[in-house]
Amino acid sequence: MASLEIQNVHKAFGPTKIIRDVSLSVPDGAFVVLVGPSGCGKSTLLRMIAGLEDISGGTISIGDRVINEVEPKHRDIAMVFQNYALYPHMTVAENMGFSLRLARRPRAEVTERITNAARILGLTDYLERYPKQLSGGQRQRVAMGRAIVRDPQVFLFDEPLSNLDAKLRVQMRAELMELHDRLKTTMVYVTHDQIEAMTMADIIVVMRDGVVEQIGDPLALYDRPDNVFVASFIGSPAMNLLQGSIKEQSFRTADGASFPVNAATATAAAGKSVIYGIRPEHFTLGEPGEGIEATIRLFEPTGSETYIAAMVGGQQLGVLLRQRLRASVGDTIWLRIDPAQVHIFDAATDQRIAPR
Amino acid sequence: MLKRRRLIFSLLAIAPVIAIFAYVRLFPIGEILRLSLHKWDILSKNKPFIGLANFQELFGDRLFHEALINTSIIAFGVLVITVPLAMVLAALIFYRTRSRFAGFYETTIFIPHVVSLVPAAMAWKWIFDARLGPLNALLSVFGIEPQAWLFDPKLSLISVIILCSWQALGYAVLIYLVGFKNLPKSLYEAAKLDGASGFQSFWHLSIPLLKPISLYVGVATLVSAFNVYAQVYVLASDAQGAPGRQVRVLVLDMLENTFRNYRVGYAASEAVVLLVIVLILTFIQFSLLREKGARK
Repeated sequence: MASLEIQNVHKAFGPTKIIRDVSLSVPDGAFVVLVGPSGCGKSTLLRMIAGLEDISGGTISIGDRVINEVEPKHRDIAMVFQNYALYPHMTVAENMGFSLRLARRPRAEVTERITNAARILGLTDYLERYPKQLSGGQRQRVAMGRAIVRDPQVFLFDEPLSNLDAKLRVQMRAELMELHDRLKTTMVYVTHDQIEAMTMADIIVVMRDGVVEQIGDPLALYDRPDNVFVASFIGSPAMNLLQGSIKEQSFRTADGASFPVNAATATAAAGKSVIYGIRPEHFTLGEPGEGIEATIRLFEPTGSETYIAAMVGGQQLGVLLRQRLRASVGDTIWLRIDPAQVHIFDAATDQRIAPR
Repeated sequence: MLKRRRLIFSLLAIAPVIAIFAYVRLFPIGEILRLSLHKWDILSKNKPFIGLANFQELFGDRLFHEALINTSIIAFGVLVITVPLAMVLAALIFYRTRSRFAGFYETTIFIPHVVSLVPAAMAWKWIFDARLGPLNALLSVFGIEPQAWLFDPKLSLISVIILCSWQALGYAVLIYLVGFKNLPKSLYEAAKLDGASGFQSFWHLSIPLLKPISLYVGVATLVSAFNVYAQVYVLASDAQGAPGRQVRVLVLDMLENTFRNYRVGYAASEAVVLLVIVLILTFIQFSLLREKGARK
């Protein structure tokens, strides 16, 4: 087990900069998720940690050791690939034992480690099978087994669940977290799925265009996104974002609709052009005449909750209600907003405006 | 109704190709099979049916045996040299693709395959020449006695094998390169993280993963090497200068029987033996491939 330290790391392919000045500190035993849209550089960063990509600038250290120039096999890391990268001509046992065999470990030790990993992952009955004879979830487990037998200091996962169907993904997510609890090894996990990030991470790193947008624990990112990108990326359904300005202690859109803002933030943002953010789940239903008047444009009850697309002036808002509602498209409803749940961002910089 | 019209259209569309294929491929094979059971001297209208007499005669024909043995030695010799060498060369080219010379290497290795056979063989005849050839000149630098490459029965076989391998190599490398390009990159990255060196990746991953390619290259090389003729004809003359006599091969034997001895039926029976050998080799390839498929 070891901590992982990334300092001012750059990566460029010719003139194209993929990673720009990324710094990140992963404490020993933490589960860190790198999340962002495709092309944001998260996989490249992971591959740099693994040693599969050169580092153009900055340093990466595992424990106290700078590993920039260290061969991948000497970095004491193990990686699980998106497509599992299992050796098709080797059995499950051979796949898991390949690294130990190359390292010329004694046969008894190899067998013991394979048996142990297979037991943890429930693969004991499949050791003599070939990857082609396994289901997607089982292959995924073999890929993890291959990492476990090496007992590395850091585990790296490159979108390991994206090839699985939705149900299996939820199951494997739970298994991975269990594995982390059990091994207590530092893990770095790359995904583009913010639900995966939210549910699994101790620390989330949101990336865009090779830059870290925000680092924090999942709920901190959800409650206090630093900027418009993080606000829109974290949370599902996505946060409503409206353009307008702060006038007389409330938010006004161009077509005159008015939304409440807490007093301190309104003072800090007074007179500025801002972006107003409110999550769909932070609306509550008001009595007629109370709150904001809205017209239902789309009505989707799912049983546990009700999703509504509502029009307020010319703006469309996503609204997620926990309560049952009898209504249909075209009806008028009244929505209440708790000013404490409102996020205000500077329209010029996209950065959060916090009350002083 | 529509289905049926489409079927008729499809059949009509491929009919010309099928017709040409049947005429240039299937018809001659049928003709050979028929002729092998007859006695014919090319000229006469009379082609008496003689059953398996031609094949019976083959059993006792010393020249045919010599040709069969020589051809087999050449074919398997070419196989043993070409397949491993092509795989290694393809690996070197593929993993050095960042080099500025990658295209150059690829072309250089493929040129012998496209170059016209006779001039190429003439060039090799000069290389192997006992008195003027650069090969003996090179050997003498190391203090080795000059060898009669093209006159010694064993050495001339080796010379033919070298020439044929040189020609077959380009095609084999090309096929292997396609194979290497189709191997998933992530497997090699996984192996790298598992601690495999370049050579270990090649040994533990490339060789087993390229098994289907190796089988294909192997059989294609073997089959084409069984048809060796022109290389021998140009390269290996006997002491009096008669071309092709030093190393007698099957195709040469057939040609002599047809156009010198006017024994077309007998030559056809030799062709049938060659066909059977090639069919058996192809069958072995298919069964090896199927065995691999079943395991997966």
